[in-house]
Amino acid sequence: MALTIRTFLHPKLNNSAISCFKEALRHGHHLRGKPPGVAKSLEQKLEESRYKDPALHYRVDIGLPPPKVSRSQQLQERLKVLKGQKANPALEKVARSKELLINLEEVRKDSATTSAPIFIKNIADHYGVFEHLFGDAYFYPRVPLSIVYESGELDLPVFCGNTIKPNEAKGAPKISYDCDKDSLWTLVLTNPDGHFTEKDKEYVHWFIGNIPGNNVEQGETIVQYLQPFPPKGTGYHRHIFILYKQEKKVDFSKYKKNGPCLNLPDRTFSTYDFYRVLQDDLTPSGLAFFHSDWDTSLKEFYHQTLEMKEPIFEYDFPPPYVRKQEWFPLRKPFNLYMDKYRDPKQINKEFLMRKMKHVHPFKEPPPPLPYPNAQYFDGYIPSWLKLEKRKSRLRWGRINDIE
Amino acid sequence: MNTISSKTIRLAEKLGISRFASTAVSGNEVSQVFTNRNPRNLEKMRIGYKPDGFHVDSLGKRYWHKLELKVTGRYVTAIIKHFENGEVLRASTSEWAIKKQLYKTKDTSAYVNLGRVLADRCLQCGLLEIGCFIQPASPDQKVAQFLKAVEDGGVSLKEPEQYKAPRPSDPYRPEKPWEVTE
Repeated sequence: MALTIRTFLHPKLNNSAISCFKEALRHGHHLRGKPPGVAKSLEQKLEESRYKDPALHYRVDIGLPPPKVSRSQQLQERLKVLKGQKANPALEKVARSKELLINLEEVRKDSATTSAPIFIKNIADHYGVFEHLFGDAYFYPRVPLSIVYESGELDLPVFCGNTIKPNEAKGAPKISYDCDKDSLWTLVLTNPDGHFTEKDKEYVHWFIGNIPGNNVEQGETIVQYLQPFPPKGTGYHRHIFILYKQEKKVDFSKYKKNGPCLNLPDRTFSTYDFYRVLQDDLTPSGLAFFHSDWDTSLKEFYHQTLEMKEPIFEYDFPPPYVRKQEWFPLRKPFNLYMDKYRDPKQINKEFLMRKMKHVHPFKEPPPPLPYPNAQYFDGYIPSWLKLEKRKSRLRWGRINDIE
Repeated sequence: MNTISSKTIRLAEKLGISRFASTAVSGNEVSQVFTNRNPRNLEKMRIGYKPDGFHVDSLGKRYWHKLELKVTGRYVTAIIKHFENGEVLRASTSEWAIKKQLYKTKDTSAYVNLGRVLADRCLQCGLLEIGCFIQPASPDQKVAQFLKAVEDGGVSLKEPEQYKAPRPSDPYRPEKPWEVTE
């Protein structure tokens, strides 16, 4: 093909002109890179980008060791129970008629001592609990924690990620767990998502130290309970209860806050720093957390209790992509093209001015058009302006930004 | 820490800064940019990234969380998968707490009860909407009974769409899901 073109060209044309022709030619389909079967798939590439060197990024278990159970004895007991199940004709009848409904409460109770620590640890990892509280450390919550908020007649338990609204969590919850009478415990409730000024810090909502056994009332209150207060527009905040087992009586006077402590900077807390100092005396052993998002009761809370104006936030979406402006935007409608590069505030102002032209302080606004597309255009109107008018009648596009 | 830009929430401009100047009096200052570190927050608000896939993709690629069912020789396992984190939650008839109360670990009753236990755990973990791409052949099947038990337990087997911010030239402005309050 290239040769045939050359014969038509004037012999005096220089090489650059010919190369220009050559570049315009298409030499069929070219595969860039390796063929699909050989090249890495997107999944493989993503996995490679997520890879972390285990020599540097390893995690440390800081929790209590698993309870020692005799495997053979456990197996004997379990086999005995299963044999009993198989020999139970009543159970067989119910199961075969598809009416067997197992007791969920019992399942919860049984799994609390068997599979629950693993299951809570996995879901806490999913919600980034360990990452934001302990960095590279994690633990299996060996002590089952039961936390119940009493809101009116309802009892709202805290599990691992369920939602409890701020007006349901106004008062301190009831805590219970199984332990020895002589042991000492610490309970901390923190929110790692809600700090108003520092994004790496937490607010401590409740802190009780030196709890003898499971008598939370007899513990030493270091920081008084404060209800969740997620600001409007910031979404769901994690509120995390952590139960630490103490080796001995610990002096928490450094963290002590007197009174209700409504000055929020005083509640600034970092579990990472706290645990780093006291890691010889404390072992994290229980975990429960809930989510809380804004509700209408918070306005009063901000005004009356915290004595501040209610902050309102809005999610900041990334700005839409607009391609670079061209010198000669050929075949592009000039009005739509220019609107892309103008200041959006100026465009909105124009829309607003146009709207205000028809607003009268004493007359009621004209009724909306019943058939906005079937309006007569008087005289000559260019097509682009017709489109603009149609769009504003139908409330399409940028007009929505001022409405 | 995760990328901050996607989790940064800026004060609405219309409120103005003066509104917050007065908060300095009581010591409870609020900065202009607020960061919520919760990695699941944007997904819960329906604005988090959800893989779009390609239009020729097979079913089951677009989800935040999805339900999977694994059947082995003796047991049945239900798994909740996250598109980035993989398996996050599981319930299986091989678990002692469940197996203890069953007659058989793979019959219809086992499937139904597995569904009930899974729904219970999902509610405990705040996973209320989960994508499900399992299509049972008939409604009498074990799998269909399992799915029904999960739905009866209070978990919706359909995930909402991701909210994408409209561009200025888009004709309509869809409702913002986080501004809807019952």
